Amino acid sequence: MRPGIRIAIDKIFTVVAGASVVCLCLVLAGVLGPMLWRGGSAVAFKGTVEFRKMQLVLFGRGDEDKIAAESRQAEIARAKIYSTIEKFKGGIDSEALIDKAKQIYRQFGNDLRQTDRTAEEVAELRSVTRQIRDRLESAFASSNAAEVNESLAYVLNFKDDPRFKNTSAAGLIGLAEQYSKDIHGINLAERQRYYQEIRQVEDILTELLGPAPGTATPALMMNRFGATRWDLAQKLLGQLCWYEEWIKQGPGQPMVKRLTPRSQRFAGTEIEGLFIYIQKNLPEMLKPKPTFYWQYFIDDSTPGHYFGGVGPEILGTLLLTILAMLFVVPFGVISAAYLVECASDNLVIRIIRMSINTLAGVPSIVFGLFGLAFFVLFFLPLFGAPSKGCILAASMTLAVLTLPVMIRASEEAIRAVPQTYKEASLALGASRFRTFVKVTLPAALPGILTGVILSLSRVAGETAPVLFTGAVALGPVPKSIFDPTRTLSYGSYDMAVGDKLAAMVPHNQFGMVVTLVLLILCLNTVAIILRSRMFKKLAGH
Amino acid sequence: MRGFLTLHLGRTALFLVTCTSVLAVFLIFLFVVREAMPFLAKFSIKEFLTSTAWYPEAVPPKFGTLALLVGSGYVTIVSIIFAVPVGILAAVFLSDIVSMKIRNIIKPIIEILAAIPSVAYGFFAVMVLAPWMQEKFGFSTGTNALNASLILAVMALPTIISVSEDSISAVGRELREASYGCGATRMETIFKVVIPAAHSGIIAGIVLGMMRAIGETMVVWMASGNAAQIPSPWWDLSQSVRTLTATIAGDMGETEKGSPHYRALFAAGLLLLVIILCLNMVSEYFLIRAKQAGGKR
Repeated sequence: MRPGIRIAIDKIFTVVAGASVVCLCLVLAGVLGPMLWRGGSAVAFKGTVEFRKMQLVLFGRGDEDKIAAESRQAEIARAKIYSTIEKFKGGIDSEALIDKAKQIYRQFGNDLRQTDRTAEEVAELRSVTRQIRDRLESAFASSNAAEVNESLAYVLNFKDDPRFKNTSAAGLIGLAEQYSKDIHGINLAERQRYYQEIRQVEDILTELLGPAPGTATPALMMNRFGATRWDLAQKLLGQLCWYEEWIKQGPGQPMVKRLTPRSQRFAGTEIEGLFIYIQKNLPEMLKPKPTFYWQYFIDDSTPGHYFGGVGPEILGTLLLTILAMLFVVPFGVISAAYLVECASDNLVIRIIRMSINTLAGVPSIVFGLFGLAFFVLFFLPLFGAPSKGCILAASMTLAVLTLPVMIRASEEAIRAVPQTYKEASLALGASRFRTFVKVTLPAALPGILTGVILSLSRVAGETAPVLFTGAVALGPVPKSIFDPTRTLSYGSYDMAVGDKLAAMVPHNQFGMVVTLVLLILCLNTVAIILRSRMFKKLAGH
Repeated sequence: MRGFLTLHLGRTALFLVTCTSVLAVFLIFLFVVREAMPFLAKFSIKEFLTSTAWYPEAVPPKFGTLALLVGSGYVTIVSIIFAVPVGILAAVFLSDIVSMKIRNIIKPIIEILAAIPSVAYGFFAVMVLAPWMQEKFGFSTGTNALNASLILAVMALPTIISVSEDSISAVGRELREASYGCGATRMETIFKVVIPAAHSGIIAGIVLGMMRAIGETMVVWMASGNAAQIPSPWWDLSQSVRTLTATIAGDMGETEKGSPHYRALFAAGLLLLVIILCLNMVSEYFLIRAKQAGGKR
């Protein structure tokens, strides 16, 4: 082969090898980037007045008077929406109108009984009113404009009838007058469709602005407030302004989504202009403000993590990891010390080393099975504790899992201490034990600490071992180590896959996993810095 | 005399503490076998290993793990196919091509890649990668074998890179310089001299990466789609598969303690443990060989 080609191939190889490393960096950025970006919005976002109301109700945070004033202002901007819809519904909700007419008729009948009229008068009045009612009902139910107008005209004839002056039956005529005003500009043939679609609009509005004024407070906390975040509000606004249809293209083909402006669906009615009004005035109705919700990391959450933060999850994760460290550090350091200082290369030591390697290779889910079979079902009942998943069992399982990591890190740290340190101490007449405790251990401490932090970060992220031994997706904050707890790791899993409610709040889904990742990244950064400083120091710089 | 006694007593105490690891391994085996034993005694082991029907709640229940075994193997092998070229190239790049300075920048990146918890990778697979794949490639589901394999490849990479890089670095200067002296280019040196000399360590790294991929639970549970089937045709990566680990994790929450299903899951755990142990022995063998090869030079 010509040297030129060989050198060219060599260059290409260098580029390809470099590309593989660049690819690694890109993967890291590609994994962390979207998660950090979207998870960050759980903490820093534009909060609306609904968010501040929710904070006040759930956590008692914020200035009550200020929020009340703010929500009053918002109410003023919102009032037009509700009045327009109310009016529009007056024309199309025939069932409600018919009910109203019937009620008035019944009321009138009751009233008649109390007055001092003769029986004939009463009977006549009744029959007239019944006729009015029936015509009115047919006007409400009919979709034919001519028929409606005729019926209404009939009813309105009685407007100046002295018999009905100042009686409850006058309500029927009022109803007719209102109705003739309301249906002005409404295509009556479309009434059924309007009725369904206005219901849809109302549902979206409830999500956007909270329950309409005058309705009962919903039982579930998540339904009590409108869109708490501006991005959510924007999404809902899109749903509000665009009508979504799935259209069949033909047999065997997938359905296609089609969006039409909702104002078109209500063309010619008063609702048509409402969407532009909402679009224009949404900031006034919700009053978005940049919010930094640091309490996300301490707050408890409502079911499904709909509102609130990840406080209990962080607490649970810290409890599990710290307890696991308390179990594993003594064993890890002593084992490492023995392996470095006392052990010679014989069969027993080889078996021990093989066990450590095996332990490191055991899949985490098998640790979960072991934790369930040993700690939960065997060990805890041995001491009279209830045989159920709890923090103690989970942290002991995690301690076993992280034992090899701990031993290896400590061993490396102890080995890194220069031989001269030990020799100097031994030469001064210190015993080997004394030398280890007073000289080797202090010198190796940063390295051991690095190992502890790395084990911590591994333990904090493990999910499979705690699945059956003490993690729950929902539950109260643990009162003792014999209670199960929520953890960040299991919470992340549950929010991504298990929880339907959580899918409605993607910022909280990402917020949970980002909290976990950040916790672990911080721990790792500390470990990396500590280690590089230790190696510099031991190298004598 | 007293000094002698304390020395030996102290040593014995330290030794006993050190034996915790052995005890732990022993207990893990003992308790997994203990819970699985009634199942192994009652059901046919042959059917357990060769049937593809995993219907634990049917009457009568069927516990065939072949589809699950194939699923585990399938995602592992695909992920290794993705990870090995990138991993070896990256290891070579770090050990032979770049300066110490750049290496010190890249190493923490690999460490962070290894530190990200599996549940976060799984979350990424479900929430980001799956919708993207579904949209981009028109797969019927975004959670499939390809998705799981890609993520497993990323998770196996740090192990493969660090173990192979160690053994590639351990190949002495003399070998490299002899090769350069003969007029070989860097690529030729690496492929014809360095990698053959370091092959034990590289194989050990690959096996360790495989162990990580087989034993991984959260990612496959979340990203593989969990359909207990053998992919057909076998090259179609867009199908859902189900692995042993995901089955244990997914089913255990719903079984009654002591039921045949529960026992069968422990038997599946035992199967997994045995597979991992075999792989572990293979990796140990190659690691020891790598050490000996390093010692000779």
